[in-house]
Amino acid sequence: MTTAPRRQHTLEVLVENAPGVLARVAGLFSRRAFNIDSLNVGPTENSSISKMIIVVGVEGHSLEQVIAQLDKLISVISIKEISTDKAHAVNDTQPDYQN
Amino acid sequence: MATHVPTANGTEMTGATSLVKSLEAAGVEVMFGLPGGAILPAYDPIFDSTIRHILVRHEQGAGHAATGYAQVTGKAGVCIATSGPGATNLVTPLMDASMDSVPLVAITGQVPSAAIGTDAFQEADIRGITMPFTKHNYLVTDPAQIPGVIAEAFHIATTGRPGPVLVDVAKDALQKMTTYNWPTSINLAGYKPRVKPEAQAITDAAALIAQSSKPVFYVGGGVIKADAHKELRQLVELLGAPVVTTLMARGAFPDSHPLHMGMPGMHGTVAAVTALQKADLLITLGARFDDRVTGKLSTFAVNAKILHADIDPAEIGKNRHADVAVVGDVRETITALIPALKAALAKSQPDLAPWLRQMNSLKSTYPLGYDLPDDGSLSPQQVIQRIGQISGTDTIFTAGVGQHQMWASQFISYEHPRTWLNSGGAGTMGYGVPAAMGAKVGAPDANVWAIDGDGCFQMTNQELVTCALNNIPIKVAIINNESLGMVRQWQTLFYDGRYSNTSLDSKRVPNFPMLAESMGCVGLACDNPADLDKTIEKAMSINDQPVVVDFRVHKDAMVWPMVAAGTSNDEIMIARATAPDWDSQEL
Repeated sequence: MTTAPRRQHTLEVLVENAPGVLARVAGLFSRRAFNIDSLNVGPTENSSISKMIIVVGVEGHSLEQVIAQLDKLISVISIKEISTDKAHAVNDTQPDYQN
Repeated sequence: MATHVPTANGTEMTGATSLVKSLEAAGVEVMFGLPGGAILPAYDPIFDSTIRHILVRHEQGAGHAATGYAQVTGKAGVCIATSGPGATNLVTPLMDASMDSVPLVAITGQVPSAAIGTDAFQEADIRGITMPFTKHNYLVTDPAQIPGVIAEAFHIATTGRPGPVLVDVAKDALQKMTTYNWPTSINLAGYKPRVKPEAQAITDAAALIAQSSKPVFYVGGGVIKADAHKELRQLVELLGAPVVTTLMARGAFPDSHPLHMGMPGMHGTVAAVTALQKADLLITLGARFDDRVTGKLSTFAVNAKILHADIDPAEIGKNRHADVAVVGDVRETITALIPALKAALAKSQPDLAPWLRQMNSLKSTYPLGYDLPDDGSLSPQQVIQRIGQISGTDTIFTAGVGQHQMWASQFISYEHPRTWLNSGGAGTMGYGVPAAMGAKVGAPDANVWAIDGDGCFQMTNQELVTCALNNIPIKVAIINNESLGMVRQWQTLFYDGRYSNTSLDSKRVPNFPMLAESMGCVGLACDNPADLDKTIEKAMSINDQPVVVDFRVHKDAMVWPMVAAGTSNDEIMIARATAPDWDSQEL
């Protein structure tokens, strides 16, 4: 379909552990035509929060746009881009983010 | 959260009573709805509530009425429906509200929790259905959660970028007993909208503006949502640059202001479209680079830098790269930008006079206009223009979608925010009448005119019964060209005049004045230009009943200017096969 370079990014996404959250994330990727290469969901030490590891194939969209749209989901608590040698927060919604 | 902590806290009651008490605590004064089996428990306490419930004739009407109410008041609109088809009838208004960032709270009944997933009678997964176009949604099966969820729903709908929130409540959660407990605070870990812009972004924005010699204010609906029109005017007059207001921003800046170039986009003015195309900087305030504004994106404003101020971080860079991005409430942004720009202009003041001269030349050379029909029949543009002139600038106008909507955006002069309500992003035919109903409920002292098409009117006119019975005296102008006019225009221009399925024959059937009379409205008709003003004045004189006027207009009128879908804004046409005379313009 496209000859644009395809890059993979791995996102660690903390979400509310609530019914329907997987559908919200999967639906967002589907309707915005973002590519999911893989998606894993697991528990965290906090039973009200789950962790998703999403490998995103970015072509035609910027990673920033994927993250910004994901961050609009109320059920998404924080998003980090992780890689093998380092992990850095690319966007979070901790309370100090406000103002 | 505009709420008070109710004295009912700690009281035992049903989930249904808790729902209604929660809506009262959230400050709801009016809601639009229609009962059915699953939501029925809630309708018992609604009977005793201080909230005015307006019984609609179709749930879609409830949704658009809530939107009209919200657009006029700035408060959240509320609609309520039962499960299954009741809920799915709200789908279009929710999608509409999502596209136009309208604060809406929709309450739906759901089948009892034990029946969920069994294909029960009137079961629909409305939470799943509405996920793509609600800001957030809920399914409540535990009555103890009702007050907290309602408080969150209003908080989410009205803060940040406004939007619709749906709360689906299982019938057994409404029937069970619970202890009512309205929350004193809301803390959503995943929702912290940024309101105040970063200081550095403001400084960068001011510096960018002060370097620019051809800046344009590209003003979107966010300015109206944020009630930032006064601040906008101060900022515009400080810089002295031209302004364009999008379809969603009509009224954010006075049409009569000399710096106003009009509306940009597919049916925008030559001056507004060209201002964006030739600018060296777009000062983008609460707008989102919609395809109806940009035309072919790769050719849009190619020499312009982009300053993009929006409360939604996901809009930054979505369609067009931003050279400077300011995330925050646009009123806070403009308020911070005014002193920063003053300081920046004190250091270097660009000469905008040549740019303004060019724009004013285009504005005077290519004003909006129309030809009267040769056969002496009624001109749709003239009807709409005269309604605007006779009813005055405090009137609230709604529209359906199509030619009449574009003419209403072009030929009515908007001087105040929240006086022009339409379905911009969604393009929902049938929005006009129910939105006018909601607008009139929100602003009972204002004159409210729905400028509607004969196609749109036939989609949602049943709400005139609601208006007649509930003392909601709106006025409806049917711009009756007996066709799906905008589709027909495209058939004229792009399909060799092959008018496949766009003729509605609505000058024969239905008889609109009789239909109006049957619904408890006054029905009028006009097909002669000589009767136009007195017909409008007659409609204006009736204030105790809804009025419907069938304006039987010429059907070949077209909306100009036009940038054909998918083409560049540079290819704007002022009439069929007629481009502006660019050679005579120094651009």
